[in-house]
Amino acid sequence: MTVPQPTPEEIEERATIDRSTRFPVMFFFTSAAAWLLAATLLGFLSSLKLRVPGLWDECQFMGYGRLFPAHMNALVYGWAMQAGIGVMLWLMARLTRNPLRHITAILVAGHLWNAGVALAVCTVWFGFGNSVPLLDFSAWVWPIIALSYTLIVVWVIPMFRQRRASLTYVSEMYLVGAAIWFPWIFLTANILINKGTAPVMGAGLSAWYITNLIYFWMAPVSLAVAYYIIPKISGRPIFSYPLATASFWLLAFLAGWTGFSRFMGGPFPAWMSAVSGAATIFILLAVFATVINLMITLKGCSKLWEYSPSLRFTVFGMLMLALYAVLSALSSTYSFGKNLQFSHFIVGLDTLAFYGFFSMTIFGAIYFIVPRITGAEWPSGDRIRTHFWFSTYGILTLVITMLIGGIAQGGDMAVWDRAFSTSYVNSSAYVVGRATAWALIGYSNFLFLYQLAQMFLGRGRKSEGPTLIHAKPGEANSAKAAAGLS
Amino acid sequence: MASEEQKNIDYEQGTVSAVELHDSVRRENPLHPGGEGTVGISVLVASAFILILGGGQLFSTSNGFRDSIYISENYQPTPKPSLGGADAEGVAVAWIVDWTKDGKKVYNNCIACHQASGLGIPGQFPPLVGSEWVDGGTARLGAILLHGINGPFKVAGQSYNQLMPAWNSLNDEKIAQVITYIRREFGSLPEGDDGVVTTDMMKAAREQFSGQATPYTEAELLAIPESENLPGSKVDLETGEPVGGGEPVAEG
Repeated sequence: MTVPQPTPEEIEERATIDRSTRFPVMFFFTSAAAWLLAATLLGFLSSLKLRVPGLWDECQFMGYGRLFPAHMNALVYGWAMQAGIGVMLWLMARLTRNPLRHITAILVAGHLWNAGVALAVCTVWFGFGNSVPLLDFSAWVWPIIALSYTLIVVWVIPMFRQRRASLTYVSEMYLVGAAIWFPWIFLTANILINKGTAPVMGAGLSAWYITNLIYFWMAPVSLAVAYYIIPKISGRPIFSYPLATASFWLLAFLAGWTGFSRFMGGPFPAWMSAVSGAATIFILLAVFATVINLMITLKGCSKLWEYSPSLRFTVFGMLMLALYAVLSALSSTYSFGKNLQFSHFIVGLDTLAFYGFFSMTIFGAIYFIVPRITGAEWPSGDRIRTHFWFSTYGILTLVITMLIGGIAQGGDMAVWDRAFSTSYVNSSAYVVGRATAWALIGYSNFLFLYQLAQMFLGRGRKSEGPTLIHAKPGEANSAKAAAGLS
Repeated sequence: MASEEQKNIDYEQGTVSAVELHDSVRRENPLHPGGEGTVGISVLVASAFILILGGGQLFSTSNGFRDSIYISENYQPTPKPSLGGADAEGVAVAWIVDWTKDGKKVYNNCIACHQASGLGIPGQFPPLVGSEWVDGGTARLGAILLHGINGPFKVAGQSYNQLMPAWNSLNDEKIAQVITYIRREFGSLPEGDDGVVTTDMMKAAREQFSGQATPYTEAELLAIPESENLPGSKVDLETGEPVGGGEPVAEG
């Protein structure tokens, strides 16, 4: 397919936009990557602690009950959301063809966000937390997070209102949706849980919050990335644009219903878990429509993802999104879910969402964005390849062992007169997989942070042509041949 | 050629054209508005499959969207044998629990008149709670279930003029279960009576009362001795196995 070449004015405009986003976006990416490394380390230590319970017995800070929530908070708020916010800002600026303004305000709010995350992680780690997953920090921390999010992401809205393209692209819809939905779910969950709803309803709300964070924030942001990266790199239009917008509205309509099915059989009216279970199954329609749409767009150019780091990470992330949607739909039916709830499986499922599909897609976006905003190329394609494979093996190891371990654990817990410790002992072998996974992911993200820091410090490769995972044989240094691959 | 560092500084200060440095933006493809591709019939079929699956989940587990129903009947964690099924057998519930649970399901046929509480509707339908027909022997109760009763008749001092239809279309097991449920749930049983009626007892009752063609009148029913029980051996409530070597239990 011949692609019309961009005019010099268009190129200049892109470059101006990229330059405007440089400092805030790099700030978010690098601090997010640092949080990711911390989260990975905490994840590894908490898995180790779960496997060898006697480890560091004297130290209260090394208990599983503190390590694991600290790990999850660092992973979600420190890394995933922060990197996602950086991607949102850049993508919105590019799509609406507006330079990013209010950079100082965004940087200040960005520091506030990092302070909020640090407080969230520390209050949990120092023992002031409660037991609500992902909302377990002290009650006075959430307004900081909510405020700083608002102060950063609010600038997406004026950019969207002043968009200069004739067509509102589907990625913009996803970004605006994500920008608005997160405050809604975050405030709802925090206010209701902290200001006196029944404790039982608090449990349901926390499950509602987690699945909504995934389907109302992480999925939209990563889909915005995929709908941008895949057509950009392949040089093709999305296979079916109407299908893309339809699946957006389907997701927007269904995502808010999910969550309560995690407590099926629990002390809620039965219809609550029935409705949310059905919504989790119906969401498969939106997810499959999206993933199939994107895959057909790429049909016939599978060679591209051998070379392009952005495309490879993004496509893998989309496949993991499909896997996540299928597994969570299965676990929200009574036949599967009743033996999987409250087990390792749920940890695996959440991690699959946070790392498997969201983070991997965001890595794809970062590999695309950073060369543009720093004006340099990634130092080493080999390290990108290692990052990809160690992350892939890590997350797949984690998901598979947690799925099998979850079945074993859930089966043990279903036998009512069996000692609770049995369910732990029988499934603890699988925790080795979880520790291994975080070790692999940790190594891959050490490389990622190292490369990102090099880019941040202006030590990127200055050359024509992108950094590819494999050099194209015979034409490695030809910028023209590699056009569009990164 | 200016050194890369110098170029970089110029770029940061905005004094050099970004395009000179931004090889990446130059090589970038433009973003097209989307295509109009259409998907095949297989996608529609797959969608229908997902819709059916989700709808099935919704309506099989929502228990009619009533706020008062907390745990759906389908919710019963069932460990697979490989995951400890052997243990699950060891904790099998007593036979009588399942027997009356099934009886409760059969009782759904009776709710319209006798109500879920077994109190009936005063003046219209007789109660089962405090009814001498329930509290007495099982023979009269079995007879009523098999062939019905036509008014006027008295229950707990109140007179009723109603027709209760015959329920002999239900099989012996179901009638036995519902009588057990009624007697254990609503009756006040004599000392030593566990209230259980077995399938064998109902089989014998069908034989015994086979001569009756129309619903009983009160007089016909009163001809059956009040304390007469249906013949058959008592069963062990834990296992459901007959006790006492299958000999008929002394009546009275």
